[in-house]
Amino acid sequence: MDCTMNSRRLFLKYLSAAAVAAGARPPVLMWALPQEQVVEVPGEDGMILRSYRFVDLESPVEYFNTWLTPVPHFFVRNHMHEPSELDPADWRLSIGGEVEKPFAWSLAELLKLEPHSVVNTLECAGNGRSLHRPQVPGVQWGQGAVGTARFSGPRLRDVLQHAGVKSTGKHVMFRGLDEVPGKVPPFIRSIPIEKAIDADTLIATHMNGSPLTKHHGFPARALVPGWIGAASCKWITEIKVIEKEFVGNFMSPAYRFPNQAVKTGDAVNPEDTHPVTALNVKSVITGPSNGARLKSGRVAVHGVAWAGEADVAKVEISTDGGALWNSAALGPDQAHYAWRLWTYDWKPRKSGDYTVMSRASDSQGRTQPSTAVWNPSGYLYNAVDQVNIHVA
Amino acid sequence: MWRSTKKFVLGYLRHRSETALVVALLALLFVSPFWARAQKPAQGKVTADLPAGPMQGKATTACTECHEARIILQQRLSKGAWTKEVDKMIKWGAVVDSADRDALIDYLSTNFSPDKPAYEPQRTAAEKGAKTSK
Repeated sequence: MDCTMNSRRLFLKYLSAAAVAAGARPPVLMWALPQEQVVEVPGEDGMILRSYRFVDLESPVEYFNTWLTPVPHFFVRNHMHEPSELDPADWRLSIGGEVEKPFAWSLAELLKLEPHSVVNTLECAGNGRSLHRPQVPGVQWGQGAVGTARFSGPRLRDVLQHAGVKSTGKHVMFRGLDEVPGKVPPFIRSIPIEKAIDADTLIATHMNGSPLTKHHGFPARALVPGWIGAASCKWITEIKVIEKEFVGNFMSPAYRFPNQAVKTGDAVNPEDTHPVTALNVKSVITGPSNGARLKSGRVAVHGVAWAGEADVAKVEISTDGGALWNSAALGPDQAHYAWRLWTYDWKPRKSGDYTVMSRASDSQGRTQPSTAVWNPSGYLYNAVDQVNIHVA
Repeated sequence: MWRSTKKFVLGYLRHRSETALVVALLALLFVSPFWARAQKPAQGKVTADLPAGPMQGKATTACTECHEARIILQQRLSKGAWTKEVDKMIKWGAVVDSADRDALIDYLSTNFSPDKPAYEPQRTAAEKGAKTSK
């Protein structure tokens, strides 16, 4: 982080003032919702309920006004049921496959390894799925299946080093303790060995300084920074080094992207696809909210931007529907895999209706497109974001 | 708020002042609804229902064995896409009599087609003491 406390404080102060000015809704107003509209999920605060059984929760984007997302505001994505019973005393993590010395560790043994911390923006591959046209099946996420947290725990490569990876080991498979309903294939995925031995890939046991909650994979999860959330398997119990990419539903046909642009709405041959790995460049406007009616005067447009394994280079704002673009100020907090907060101080010249847009570009030369690349499963949505507002 | 209400009530008992009585009653009137709500959080239905129709019962049995109805309520898909989903779910263990497959696809594609209004999701309750920033 190349920031000072002063600049951070100033930015946060500016941002919180901006949030108030833009009408961001603090969670306390959740009480104002009709009683039948809220469902209690312990440990979660005012989240958008995509599914209760199994639990899928989305953050309202107005919550994204801090660099680190508090755990009760952090999205939850489950493909199946969370482990119904999980006693940390009985939990074991086994390491096997293409290794010299397979073993199984208790949590206490795992925690003897030196911990490392990575601030990572974790985003579900399907974030924004509901915005693709034509619509595609799956959890209909808006823009809030994303969050940023400080994940801590041993490096995966330190664990692998204890086992000694054979030269035949090219991929690393994770199995979690998700409870599989019906004949649904188990949630097992793999990552290439190069990413597995990266110094920032962790077996995370902590999130924002506290032990992982159950929704986030207690007692341990993979943390594959800069990649889609599905790579970071929760409730991890088995690590297996394998020769080839794992063969199973959640590697193919799920979580794959067409190699070539496909005609909107068409099916894609699975052989003409590749696994979805690193996240796209993306920005989201977190205030003012779409449909906001603002008083005349200055407007602080604000939001977040991230770019997976790349760095955010700039965020540009248009207040005239995309004709002219001006740079937003990036917040001081930064880490390689973490989003940047941004603000744009705007003084509308006259009253009226405005379309405000945000567009991020990254260090790999990627820029958010005006229309996201359609694909049959609705992954990696990253179109230029926009809100329509009225200024009095 | 409860503490201040108590203070007013005690004030009334001690001094039997009519003013204190009025203030105490007013305080109770205004304070109690919020206090009661804070004690017992608002609660909606934990799981949602599928819409009425000839296949409601069979769809509920077939689909909600593994996941709840909200997963279905939020989809807006063409008949072709629903056909693929139903066949995938049958492969994954959904119990659908082969004589019911087409009716189930019709039920889903009629109720959850792309032209239907957007699904309005519920919210989870506010967590007491949740930090809003860090």
